[in-house]
Amino acid sequence: MASLIEVEGVSQIFETREGLANWALWQVSMNIEAGEFVCLIGPSGCGKTTLLHLIAGFMKPSEGSVRFAGAPVGDPGPDRGVVFQEYALFGWMTARQNVEFGLRMRGMAKAERRERAREALARVGLERAIDRYPHELSGGMRQRVAVARALVNEPRVLLMDEPFAAVDAITRATLQDDLVRLWQQTGVSVVFVTHNVDEAAFLAQRVVVMRPHPGSVKRSVIVDLPYPRQRSSAEFARLYADIGLALGE
Amino acid sequence: MEARLTAPPIPAAADAALTEDEKLEIENRFRRDIAAGRRRRLRRGLLLNLVGVLIFLAVWEALPRLVPGVNTQMFPPPSGVVMTLVGMMTDGSLAAHAWSSLKRVAAGFVIGSTAGILVGLLTGRLAMAQSLSDPVLHGLRSIPAIAFVPLAIVWFGLGETPKVALISWGTFFPVWISTFIGVRDVPKLYVQSALSLGASPLNIMFRVVLPAALPFVFAGLRHATAVAFVIVVAAELVGASSGLGYLISFSHLVFRIDMMFVGLLALGALGFLADAAFAALLQRVFPWYRSERNG
Repeated sequence: MASLIEVEGVSQIFETREGLANWALWQVSMNIEAGEFVCLIGPSGCGKTTLLHLIAGFMKPSEGSVRFAGAPVGDPGPDRGVVFQEYALFGWMTARQNVEFGLRMRGMAKAERRERAREALARVGLERAIDRYPHELSGGMRQRVAVARALVNEPRVLLMDEPFAAVDAITRATLQDDLVRLWQQTGVSVVFVTHNVDEAAFLAQRVVVMRPHPGSVKRSVIVDLPYPRQRSSAEFARLYADIGLALGE
Repeated sequence: MEARLTAPPIPAAADAALTEDEKLEIENRFRRDIAAGRRRRLRRGLLLNLVGVLIFLAVWEALPRLVPGVNTQMFPPPSGVVMTLVGMMTDGSLAAHAWSSLKRVAAGFVIGSTAGILVGLLTGRLAMAQSLSDPVLHGLRSIPAIAFVPLAIVWFGLGETPKVALISWGTFFPVWISTFIGVRDVPKLYVQSALSLGASPLNIMFRVVLPAALPFVFAGLRHATAVAFVIVVAAELVGASSGLGYLISFSHLVFRIDMMFVGLLALGALGFLADAAFAALLQRVFPWYRSERNG
């Protein structure tokens, strides 16, 4: 059976500020299965965000093909939910209106979409912040709303671009716990971009380590530790060292 | 180490002697003092404002009488202006002039700014629309709007049409420019989010891009109200039979400088009120704006 996401020989060329050609990705191939949790990790310039944007449909690959659910990736759509690093919530809408937006675009009736939005916000623990504007929420709460906004459309994959990079370490740990729980409850695939070794080791079933200039896959680390993972365990420490080593090679 | 262990404990006797009531009393007195100080400074400020205005009026009242050779007809003192003002308010002529100017301003403003917002959205979102329209729009924008007054009269005659058309023309440009800038600078993440949530191009335009650019649009609208008042006066100075601009030009013909002053005063008051209304509206319509930019 075909994988949910199939990336085949993808290269992506960009123009640098000096007007030169720069390969953000070079000959990248990988498959991501339905229900799988994959972390893309690497230093800046390794093309991890570019790869995420190709899957989301924000751009077309210069070479190669990206397929989603058996068909070439077309325009962006609600079957591939995206959570950005920050400031992607609509500031002029309340938490509920933000979550309702995708349902509204699909033409869902008001009563039903209100109920769905309420459920989605309850699932991320924000039922009481339902009528707040983003600027009235903490960074962690905003990212919960962003996750609810993507999940309410029942996507097949959640594409997350360093979503927890801008929140403090304590909040980040809580958000990671919640993400694992949501992933297990919904069975959605997750592609999670990070530059944080601990985060990758804590979350992923598979960590794809990338290198820059040109952006390419260096190594894949399979993580077979059960969830929820214990950061204090010896296995976690070994895993952390493995990923760190792969990054530094 | 030993010394620290045997050091005397911090004396708590002084704190313990204060009862809860006394503590509250001190806090209350402290808060009262702060509030009283704030009120005092506010009163002082207001008093000085008033004194400043009074000095200005007194100098204006006295100057025409003290300086030899000044004609009070040419330079009417505030007492004379107030008399004329009261007279024009009771016979309704001031309200009539103000009303016809306001109607022209409102009609022209609505037409001009609606067009400005739509064209700003189009040129800000579509590179083709921008390239197509840039030379013409920027060229026309560079011509002062009041230079078109004679042309408007030739084309549209002496009725309401030339005035409304001129104001529409003049308000279009500031609204277009600021909408264009706001739309162009809408964070890419907003558009990408909307796309991945399944929004159509039209929904992205009106539910995402326009609200995101609204603070800029609003700045343009505010600027446009000021422009509208400049143009309405210019248009009414020639070829009108009502309006504050007409009142001023008529006063000139009949040599009633006091009436002219009343017209100027009314224009100042209307302009000030329009701008204050905008500022108040901004706070009500965008409670999220300032906090978002800061936070």
